[in-house]
Amino acid sequence: MPGSGDERAWVRGAQAGSASDLEALFRGHWPRAYRAAYLVVHDAAAAEDIAQEAFLSAVRAIHTFDRRRPFGPWLHRIVVNRAIDWARARSLRREIGEDALEGTPARPEPPGHGLSEEIAGALTGLSPEHRAVVVLRYLLEYTPGEIASLLDLPRGTVNSRLRRALDTLEGRLEEERP
Amino acid sequence: VTEAELRRRLTQPAPYEEEAGQRALEVVRTAFVEGERVPRTKRRSRPAIAIAVALAAALAVAAITPPGRAFVQRLRDAVGRSPSEPALVRLPAPGRLLVDSAQGPWIVQRDGSKRLLGSYDAASWSPQGKFVVATRGHSVVALEPGGEVHWTVTRPQPVAQARWAPSGFRIAYREGSSLRVVIGNGTADRLLARSVAAVAPAWRPGPVNTLAFVDTEGSVHVVNVDTRGELWATAPGPPLRELAWSADGDRLLAMSRGRQQRIYDGQGLPVSTIRLAAGHVSAGASFTPTGRTIALTDFDPATSRSAIVVVDRGREQTLFKAAGRLEDVEWSPNGRWLLATWPSAGQWLFLRTPGVGRIITVSDVAGEFDPGETGSPSFPRLAGWCCS
Repeated sequence: MPGSGDERAWVRGAQAGSASDLEALFRGHWPRAYRAAYLVVHDAAAAEDIAQEAFLSAVRAIHTFDRRRPFGPWLHRIVVNRAIDWARARSLRREIGEDALEGTPARPEPPGHGLSEEIAGALTGLSPEHRAVVVLRYLLEYTPGEIASLLDLPRGTVNSRLRRALDTLEGRLEEERP
Repeated sequence: VTEAELRRRLTQPAPYEEEAGQRALEVVRTAFVEGERVPRTKRRSRPAIAIAVALAAALAVAAITPPGRAFVQRLRDAVGRSPSEPALVRLPAPGRLLVDSAQGPWIVQRDGSKRLLGSYDAASWSPQGKFVVATRGHSVVALEPGGEVHWTVTRPQPVAQARWAPSGFRIAYREGSSLRVVIGNGTADRLLARSVAAVAPAWRPGPVNTLAFVDTEGSVHVVNVDTRGELWATAPGPPLRELAWSADGDRLLAMSRGRQQRIYDGQGLPVSTIRLAAGHVSAGASFTPTGRTIALTDFDPATSRSAIVVVDRGREQTLFKAAGRLEDVEWSPNGRWLLATWPSAGQWLFLRTPGVGRIITVSDVAGEFDPGETGSPSFPRLAGWCCS
């Protein structure tokens, strides 16, 4: 994650029209933004779209961004909320039995990526909202109070979602162990 | 699982993270550079706000009457739709769409705004998308995407299906049952072949001006337009509806009106055949702009159901199934999205490929390209998605 000094300089540069500063900002934030989206939607193509659209939203609004504030939470709020919306829409499509996607094989995952399929698979057993709080807490390192603010939720709801998500994850990972 | 272990596992790279980042960076950088060129909105003065309020009130009143509604619709189409419109708001991939409608060809920009080029029958892009070649009655017209006409060639018989060569220096078109070629600046118009079928000629990608066309016997001919030398031709066969080259110019798809769709190599040898199920027909097919993957529509008249099928190295994959008829298919210039028209649902479908990671539907497409609500029964046809 970029340091706050670097980040402020990149935001200032991007606001002044520097494409290289924008690129530095992108490179500093892309991995976590993409990973966060992927862990919520468990679909590489959708994660790419979600993270890319979040950056495009940020680019469009870069001139109005208050550079005294950190860039990450601004971006992560967009990414996580869009990922939740996408995951909800997908589960709705499945519920109504749309047969349009039948016969569509999943894209094979490439060899060599570091994220364990075990943990990504275990996360799919949670609702999108529960996945989102796990990602915000353990990947993006936000406190429960900050998560509550990012998702517009009461702090107690965040805590209870985290507890329930961890219990479920533990159960699923235990089941999958040989 | 401990919190520390969970943290450690979640912070590992996700699948495709690096390559997705490279693609996204290109898109974001382009959007940033393009956005920088656009002057920032000046703060509005009070008189300007007052004028805007008065204008909005006048438009609201005007919209109550039918002529007023038509005017507002035209105005809205001229200036582009607001982001809150549920219809076509934004193309999901870079490039611009050319769409043939009953009122004429439209150019749809990435942000969803669109412009009617004029009263032409049909149009197609020049190779870089800097110009459009259109036909109207007896005339072939070259014009800029903004509508400014550069030249016109008028012929004694009706003309159709003008196509610009990848070199940019030649345009082929049909005049009645003849095939003619004109230089890209509108000069040296000449006859290339007689007795051609009503199938659009297809230029082979590459610097040499090589053209494929179909004669009235169903034979495919591939000729060097500049030397007039025929490179190869197929035996007469069933009627064809469409020709399409792969991006490398080494495969030619000859779409028939029946079940069998033949693919030839660069020397004219048949290399494979796509066989639709008995009774099925295909209304549209397209090679991906970056390879030899083909997308085509597959319609079963018996059940009135359609599918979009992707064929890659002989393997077929059904991407989407729907009730009713799916017609045209067009790849985005970056090959990541497929646009299909679905007239029976009045929709366009944008499908994210490979597989279908995401679907974007655009409803009321006929209304989108029929400002003033003239009630034209024809559904808009895709004429090209240009350019990367």
